[in-house]
Formats: sequence, C-alpha cells, structure tokens
Amino acid sequence: MGANTASDVPGGAGPVGGGSPRLSVEDLSKSFRNVDALTDVSLHVRTGEVVGLVGENGAGKSTLLKLLTGIYRPTSGRIVVDGEPVEISGPRDAGQRGIAIVKQEQDVVPNLTGYENLYLGRIPDYARLGVIDSERMRADAQRIVDDLGMGFDVSDPVKSYSFNERQMLEVAKAFSESIHTDNPVILLDEPTAGLEEDSRDLLFERIDELRDQASFVFVSHELDEVLQVSDRIYVLRDGALISEQRTADATESSLQQAMVGRETADEYYRTDRQRRTDVDADVVLAAEGIERDGAFSDVSFSLREGEIFGLVGVEGCGKSALGRVLCGADAPDGGTVRVRGERIEPGSMSAMVEAGVGYVPRDRKAEGLLLYQSLPMNISLPSIGTDRVTDPLYGIGSALGLIDHDKEVAMAEDAVAELDIRTPDIEALVHQLSGGNQQKVVLGKWLAREADILVLDNVSRGIDVAAKEEVYRVCRDLVDRDVSLVFVGDELPEVIGMSNRIGVMKKGRLVDVVEAPRDDKPTESDLITKMI
Amino acid sequence: MSDSKPQSALRDRFDEFAADRSRQDWVIDLGPFVLLALLMVVFSLTSPVFLTFSNLVDNVLRNSTILLLVSLAGTFPILQQSIDLSIESMVGITGVVAAILISDFQVGVLGLFAAVLAGTVFGTLNGIVFAKFKIPSFLVTLGSLSILSGTALLMTGGTSIPYRNPGVRWVATGYVIPGVPNLVVWGLLFYLLFVFVAFKTPFGRYCYALGENETVADLSGVDVDRYKIGAFLVSGTLCGIAGALLTARTASAAPGMGTGLLLQSIAAIVMGGTALTGGVGGPHRTLLGVLVIGVLANGMNLVGIQSFVQDIVLGFVVIIAVAMSMDRRKIDIVK
Repeated sequence: MGANTASDVPGGAGPVGGGSPRLSVEDLSKSFRNVDALTDVSLHVRTGEVVGLVGENGAGKSTLLKLLTGIYRPTSGRIVVDGEPVEISGPRDAGQRGIAIVKQEQDVVPNLTGYENLYLGRIPDYARLGVIDSERMRADAQRIVDDLGMGFDVSDPVKSYSFNERQMLEVAKAFSESIHTDNPVILLDEPTAGLEEDSRDLLFERIDELRDQASFVFVSHELDEVLQVSDRIYVLRDGALISEQRTADATESSLQQAMVGRETADEYYRTDRQRRTDVDADVVLAAEGIERDGAFSDVSFSLREGEIFGLVGVEGCGKSALGRVLCGADAPDGGTVRVRGERIEPGSMSAMVEAGVGYVPRDRKAEGLLLYQSLPMNISLPSIGTDRVTDPLYGIGSALGLIDHDKEVAMAEDAVAELDIRTPDIEALVHQLSGGNQQKVVLGKWLAREADILVLDNVSRGIDVAAKEEVYRVCRDLVDRDVSLVFVGDELPEVIGMSNRIGVMKKGRLVDVVEAPRDDKPTESDLITKMI
Repeated sequence: MSDSKPQSALRDRFDEFAADRSRQDWVIDLGPFVLLALLMVVFSLTSPVFLTFSNLVDNVLRNSTILLLVSLAGTFPILQQSIDLSIESMVGITGVVAAILISDFQVGVLGLFAAVLAGTVFGTLNGIVFAKFKIPSFLVTLGSLSILSGTALLMTGGTSIPYRNPGVRWVATGYVIPGVPNLVVWGLLFYLLFVFVAFKTPFGRYCYALGENETVADLSGVDVDRYKIGAFLVSGTLCGIAGALLTARTASAAPGMGTGLLLQSIAAIVMGGTALTGGVGGPHRTLLGVLVIGVLANGMNLVGIQSFVQDIVLGFVVIIAVAMSMDRRKIDIVK
C-alpha cells in the first residue's frame, strides 16, 4: 500500500508546487545487523506541504529522520532532493541541501543569547582572527527571526525566553541551517512535547504561515495534532509504510487502527471491567488537610478499596506533587496522610511501602528503574528484606536476612509472565527493554511487593498505543485483586476512561470530585471547565 | 554539537553499537585478569626470584593485604557513587589508638579491637555528616582526612609509638597455616566475608541500587540514609582492621603509616571494575586490582626501578583505569 496515491493533495492554505516533489525517498531500507529498522519505504514531500508521520515507538520514525539527516546511511534505496538522487553525509550536509530538523529536546544553552544559540555550531564562521563579530551575527540572526515573523529579540539570553520561544528558536535554527536553499524541508520531531495548549496553537499557526517558505514533516504521538496541521499523513508500522491518508479522510481511529493494526477505540480502557465501588467501601488511603508549600494546600480526600481515583488539572495545578505526598515520596508541610486509618510517618517512603503503598513515578527512567541492573534486581528492589526474597539468617532472624537469588529470579519470572514483559532473557538489563516493557517492570516491582495501594503518575506516558493498552489491562487486573489506585494523568480521555471518581485540581486546590461510573462518564469539557 | 564530529566516525559508532558495547564489557571483565597474567609473565622473565613461592606469598600477598583491606573499605562507598577519602588517616589514627593502648595501658590484643571500634565510630560519623547534612562525601571525608591525621599527630607528637608484645605481633606475623603468614589469612577471611556481604545481604544489594540511582531506591522504599551511613561504617571498620593489623605487623604505629594507600586503593578498586560512577563491580573484583598493583610494585622492586618512578607509573595506571571504566554507562541503545 501507499505507493499509488501520488495524486496532488493540496493543503488547506499553502501553494502547491508542480513537478517533482521537493523531497522523496524511494524504497529506503535500513538494517542494523539482523534487525530491519526500515523496509522499502517510499514517500514524498511537495513544496509547501505539511506531511504527518505517525507510528508506534519503534515503527521506524526516528530511523527515517536519521536517514534524512545523514546520521545513518541507507542499507538500500535512495533519497531524492528536487529530482536528484543525493547521498547525505550528515546533519550539516543535510542542511546545505535544505533539510533541517527540530528535535524533541531543546538543545539550547540558557546563558547564551538567542543569536549565539542560533549560530552555536557555526560561531567560527563569524570570527575574524579568533574574535567574534557579534554585531554581524546578531543582525543575521534577527533577520532570520524577523523573516519568519517571530517576535522575539535575539539579543536576550535564552533563559529569559518562554518555552514556546525556545521552540521557535529551534525552528529558526533549522531555517538558518538551510538558509542557502529556497523552500527548506523542516523535520519536526515531536515539537509539541512539553508545550502548553496556547504555545502549541501558536506553533501550528506559524507552521501554517510558513508554508510559502518551507515544507514540513511533522512527527508526533499526538494524533489530534497531526490531523490538525498535516495535509497528508503517512503511517509507519514495524518499519514499513502501512498507509497514506489524506487528512480530510483520516480520523484518529483510522490512524490508530493503521498504527496498531486492529480496532482499539472502544475497548481501549476496558471500561466494562471497571468495578462498581460502594460509597461505604473501606477507605484505604486518606488525606486530611494536607499541604505542600508552593504546590498545593488544604487537600482532603479518601481512596476507597478497589477504586481508581483519577487526578486531573492543568500543568502546575499540583496534581503530581499531591501524588508524591500521598505515596510518601515527599513530606507534607501540613495535614496527615492515613493508610487504613493508621497515621504514617510523614514523607517516609519506606514506612509507606511497609504499609502497602507503592509509587509509579512520572519519569520511569530517572525515578522508576535501575536501568543498568538486571530485571530481577529491579523487580525485587522494594521486596528486599521481606521473606519473599530474603531468607532469615540462621540464629539471628529475619532482621539480617540473606538474599535468595533463586527466589528473586522466580519472582521476576512471575512478573514477566503475569505482565507479559517482553525481554530477551530473564537476566537482561532493563535499559535493553522497550519503553512499554520498562513501564511494566516498574508496575511489576509493586505487583511483586503485593502493594495494595498504588499512586500512578502518568503511567502510560511515552509508551506506544499497544503498550498503553496493556498497561490499562494491568491496572484493571490490579483492581480485581483489591488494589486501589490513585491515577494522576495529563491525558483526560485516559483518566476519564479508567477512573471511578476524578478529583479536579486547580491552582493547588482540589476543587471538585466528579463521579465517573462506567455507564455515565463525564466528558472532557465537563472537566476542563472545572480545571480552568 | 553532534554534527561537528567527523561523520564517518559517528556513523561507525552507530552502526557498530552492539559490537562496541560488548568489546568494552570484555575489556572491563577480563582486563584485570589479562593485565595480571601479562605482568606475571613479564616479571618472571625479568627476575628469576619473582615466580617463587616465598616471593609470591611473603612479598606479594603479605604486602598486598593491607591494601586489600583498605581497598575493600573504599569499594562500598564507591559502589554507592560516593567516596571515602579519609582512609589513609583512618588507618593512621586507628593504628595509633591500638599502639598507645598496647604500650601505655598494656591491654594486649584488646588494643586491636579498640582500633577496629575506633574505625567503626569514625566511619559512622563520616556517614552521618554525609547522609544527614547532605554534604558531598568527598568533601566530608576530605575534611575528616585532615582532622584525623591532625588528631593522630597530636596524640603521638608526630613520632611513632613502638610497643613490646609478642602476642599482639603474632596476630599478624604468626603462622596458623604453615608457610602462610596470618596477615594473609586475615586478608582472605575479610575478603570472603565482604564479598558475601555484597552479594547476599540487603545492605550489599542496596549499595548497588544506590550507586545506580538513589532516587529510584528511595522511591522503592529503601531507607537511603541508613544504607549510606552503613557504607561509611563498613569503610571505617575495614580501615580500623587494616590499622590494627598494620600495627600488629610492625610492632609500632605512626600517624602517617597509611600514606599512599588512598591513591593505590582507588586504582585497585577502579581497575578491578567498580566504576566511580557507581552501581557496577564490587568487592570481589577489587582483589584483582589489588593483585595487579601488588605484582606491579613487587616486580618493579625486583627489577630495581626506583620508588619515584613507581609513583609515576601508578599515577598513569589510575588514570587509564578510570578512563576505561567510566565510559560504558554513557552508551545506551539507539533505536
């Protein structure tokens, strides 16, 4: 599929150049040893077009971008620019041919000015006898920024820029790298990650306005954004081009179906498995008037046994901070947290774990996993010292237990089987696993510890659609075993789909708790009106 | 910026990723063995005495035992991505405590236990200041390095404290096993004990977890401060043992008798495979590094290389060992 629809698909606003496409790839493949990262992919970008590129993690999006910017060489196939086959030797060469990339991470040096950042890699070009001609550099940079209609001053240090301005600076940088060509192709690799709604819209507006000067390839996990900005959308799956859809015909579910290869939307959150919880069910975790300076204040709520309590709110509302205090990762500055009626030493994670509480942090790589240690060691970490992995030392007792490696491996094997963790072997180091499987390891730690209260902060963040679905299944399985969950989330549909009740936070206060039974879910706009 | 590097090198690196990783793993895993074997071959060719039982046991092993104990001490903080720089003066002051008690108060072998206890106390204090006041361990222990060495100098007036007590001396210099000095037996016993501690106890396991990522350990319910203090307690105790045995061996103690052990022990730890970035390696590997340094020193002595030159060689060895062991954690899988 995908090779035929070469018909002109004009975008809503931009002009469409005739003739050969600005950039195309033909039967492009890339293999690493015996792994095929990309197989016979053909696609094209016309002048003034915004082309969406979607796919799950590992579908080959990054590989394609790296081939286009010369970081990788194709194993076979070719890249064609303006009808001429080219061999791209690296990012600098790609820039000279009019292909530049805006990466997900902002590579800025905060203490330098905008223009210094813009020309960071090319400062020697502006130096004479080792002395930088700052004025010329600044003027060039400001001209680029002004030409692009971005209203910021390049002489200001980048640390004074807003997040959005920094992202715009990255776009300007991409333009400046391809300045010698007309109509550069700008590759946008998840450019909205971390951007707030307003900034996102600004970026999209800018992209739309720049159509007469450039073409874009827009890579994102957020399908609604791709639908919003693109003219056409390519879908990659397992390294192959699965489908090409005109935006006018495409929907989120048609894209998702192509990405995953099956229908998902309805059963995604397994709402049918949501437990009905009684109002008089046991309260397992209760907060009474807790506060944390600079994050939230006067929050009281209770988590009932077997329920999923969602927490939503705009960025900075304090929902993540609340999650951290509830599980004991941070100490409250006031108020009390009780687990099954017992007051636990404030801010002592070890006491909370002892009481059966666990925490799945927002950033699994920095806070959830020992990346360079083995899978069993990660799974067993919270359980060390319990008799599940430790044998009592003869004559001294369990206080000085010895770790039983066999029990530890058995524990990991149980978790691997139960959570369907895909791993090359049981002793693999967790950094070798994919994001979704890593997240299952984090969940597996608490499963193995038999924690019965879990605080999950954006548990499906940064993992692909199929893995998300499995994580939701695991959450439902946990609830079936009477585990109760606090489900902190940025994605409203997910929180709505999963939760029994949803706490809405606004400016550090828990402003409302919305019931979300499985047959009467609130809508997104119900929640949004309370959030802002 | 990435595109300022030569492109071919970059591409090679990406393409050869898997191979690069395993190659470096091999270097770290087998490097010390190969180095040790290489040194033994070279020195057995350059000196006829080298490969004799009495040289290997009486010189190489006996002279390496104190370094082994001190290196085991340093391994635990380094495994946690901290460091204990006070070990030199820890050996000095615990030895002085033992010698004063034995010579002035005639407590005999009890003096050696007192030295170990003193090491435990000083180490614990290091740990408490480090963990509870959140001061970087290298600063805390740099401070205590100076404090303890000054204290030892004050206690002795800067001179060495000799004692006469054959029983105490026997602890280190006697022969329970014919042909093998007790000192070497002690070294072996403590080595086995602390390898066991590293692999079989929760404390050992948490050392690895803390060294890899303290936040993860904390959020998994590990009482982080307790185990940080524990690492310095173990370090101090082992230094106390080293100080006691050194005092027993030489029938005297001097405030500066630990001098030079710090650099040598860091070289041994890192060469053994415990990276300064924490979380990998362990005390079992430290023995290899100690033997490499012991053989190197012994061989250079036999060949007649003067000690100043030996210092230069040791310095290079440390830098190369650190360079080799630090790099691999920065390598990650690229999809």
